[in-house]
Amino acid sequence: MRRVLLTALLLTLVSPLWAADLRTLNWQELIPKDAPPQVPQMTPMHDMSQLGDALSEGGAASLQQFPSAPVVKEMDGQQVKIPGYIVPLDVTEEGRVTEFLLVPYFGACIHVPPPPSNQIIHVTTELGVLLDALYQPFWIEGPLKVEHSSSELAEVGYQLAADKIYPYELPAN
Amino acid sequence: MFLLRLALASLANRRFTALLTVFAIALSVCLLLAVERVRTEARASFANTISGTDLIVGARSGSVNLLLYSVFRIGNATNNIRWDSFEKLATHRQVDWAIPISLGDSHRGYRVMGTNEGYFDHYHYGRGQSLQLTQGERFHDLFDVVLGAEVAEALNYKLGDKIVLSHGVATVSLQQHDDKPFVVSGILARTGTPVDRTLHISLEGMEALHVDWQNGVPARGAGKVSAEQARHMDLQPKAITAAMLGLKSKIATFAVQREVNEYRGEPLLAILPGVALQELWSLMGTAEKALFVVSLFVVLTGLIGMLTAILTSLNERRREMAILRSVGARPWHVASLLVLEAFSLAAAGVVVGTALLYAGIAGAQGYVQANYGLYLPLSAPTPYEWTLLGAILAAALLMGSVPAWRAYRQSLADGLSIRL
Repeated sequence: MRRVLLTALLLTLVSPLWAADLRTLNWQELIPKDAPPQVPQMTPMHDMSQLGDALSEGGAASLQQFPSAPVVKEMDGQQVKIPGYIVPLDVTEEGRVTEFLLVPYFGACIHVPPPPSNQIIHVTTELGVLLDALYQPFWIEGPLKVEHSSSELAEVGYQLAADKIYPYELPAN
Repeated sequence: MFLLRLALASLANRRFTALLTVFAIALSVCLLLAVERVRTEARASFANTISGTDLIVGARSGSVNLLLYSVFRIGNATNNIRWDSFEKLATHRQVDWAIPISLGDSHRGYRVMGTNEGYFDHYHYGRGQSLQLTQGERFHDLFDVVLGAEVAEALNYKLGDKIVLSHGVATVSLQQHDDKPFVVSGILARTGTPVDRTLHISLEGMEALHVDWQNGVPARGAGKVSAEQARHMDLQPKAITAAMLGLKSKIATFAVQREVNEYRGEPLLAILPGVALQELWSLMGTAEKALFVVSLFVVLTGLIGMLTAILTSLNERRREMAILRSVGARPWHVASLLVLEAFSLAAAGVVVGTALLYAGIAGAQGYVQANYGLYLPLSAPTPYEWTLLGAILAAALLMGSVPAWRAYRQSLADGLSIRL
C-alpha cells in the first residue's frame, strides 16, 4: 500500500514535467529553416492576352503548382499546441467536425492562393468539435506526425490526432 | 405530501379551467419541442448525406448551389461540363477516384441520375457507409435502372418492372421518353439520404435517352431513333453535370481545388462539401434562431395564461384559504399550496405536450418522409430537450410565487368572515 502511494506521489511530481513537453508552435516553425524561398510565378492572374487561348477548345493547362513543400522532420512525435482555422472535411450527424484541415488563415476555403502543404495540418479527432462559424480560430493540442516521402506522387504533410480543441481568444488588452 | 394532495384536490374543484390551462401549456411545449426536433433532424440528415468525398466539381455557379443540386437534388445546374474536362480530372495525379454524374430527367417527381459503376463503389454517407443493394444488382444492360429505397416503396416497383422516364424535373411530366423504357435491375437499401429518392441509370443510358433530342424536342419521323437502334450507336457522353472526387492525400485538397477553379479549358468550380455545408447552415442559422425565439415566446404566453388563471381565481378562494387557516394551516402552507398548484399545472402541461409531440411524429412521420425527405425518429428526448423542459418547469415555479406571495399577505390579514 505504501509503495503504491509513493509511486503515485512520484508520478504527480513528474507530471508537470510531462505537461511542460507541450510546445506552442507558430506556423513559421513548420517550414524548415533551410527551405528555398518559393518565388511565386509572376504571370498576372487576369492576363487578358491569353483570353483567345482560353476560349478555344483545348485550353492551356493551369499554372504549374509548386512541388511538395518540405517539412520539418524533427517535429515528428512532439506534443504541440497550435492555433488555426478549421476547414471541415467530415461532419457527424450532431454537427461535430471529426476530421478537418487546420490552416493559418481564414479564407483558405475560397479561391485565394491556398497555403503550401507545409502550412496545412490534417487533424482527426474522436469527439469532434462543434463549429459555429468558419472564421473562429481554435487551439489544437496533440502529437504531431510528419509524413515524409521523396516521391513526387505522395503528398508529404503534417498529421495530428487532436487531444484537446478549444476556441482561441485574443488576449484582452 | 399532504400539501400536494390538497393542491390537487383544490384544482379538481376548478377542473375545467385547470384543463384548459394544461392544454394551453401542452400545445406550446409541443410546438417548442417540435421546432427543435425538426431543426436537429434536418441538420443531421444534411450532415449524413455525404462523407468521404473530398471535392465536388461542376460548372461555375456558386458553392451552395453546386452542393444543393449535385448532392441534395435541390435546384438545377446552370451548365454542364465537358467529358474531356472530366477525363483530365479523373487522370490527375492527385485524384484517387472520380464519379461522373448527369442530371436533368425525372420519373414521377423523383430525380433520375446518370452515373457509372464507380458511384456504387465510392459514394459514402453517414459514418462512411457505402451503398448496399437489397435486391438485384447494378446496371449492366444499357436500359437498366437501379432504384432508391423510397422510389421503390412509394411507387411499388419490383425487379423486372418497366419504367418510362420523363424529361424535366416536375412531378407531372408532359414529355415522356416512352420509346425507351427502362427495366428495374436493382433496388438499394434505405440510406436516409436523397439517394433513396433517386433513380440511377448508366451514363450511356442517359445518352441513349437523348440521342434523338438534339433540338430540345423529340425528333419526329425519320429522325426518330428506336431503343434497338440506340444500342448500336456510339453512346460516349459528351458532357456531364458534375463530378465527385476522392483524393490520394487530404492535404492536397486546396491545391487541386485551386487548379480546377483556374482551369482554362472551361469555367469550373470545385467545392469542399464540408465547407459548403457550413455555409448553407450559416444561411439557415438566422431563420432557425428566429423560429426558436418565437416558440419560446409561445411557451411564455402559455405560462402567463396559467398565471392569469390562478390570479383571477385567488379572489374567489379567499374563503377556502381562510378555512384552511382556521384548521391550523400556517401562512407559508397556503403560499406553498399555490406554488405547488402552478407546478402541477405546468408539469401536467409538459407531460401532455411531450405526449402530443410523439403522437404527432408517429402520425406525420410517413408524410414528412415522403414529401420532404426528412426522417423524424421516435427517439427519447435528448439532454438538450430535457434542459428545455426543466427550464419551463422552473419558470412555472417562479410564476407560481407571484400568487403565492399575494395569498400569503391575504391570509395574514383575513379572518373567517371575509370583508370583500
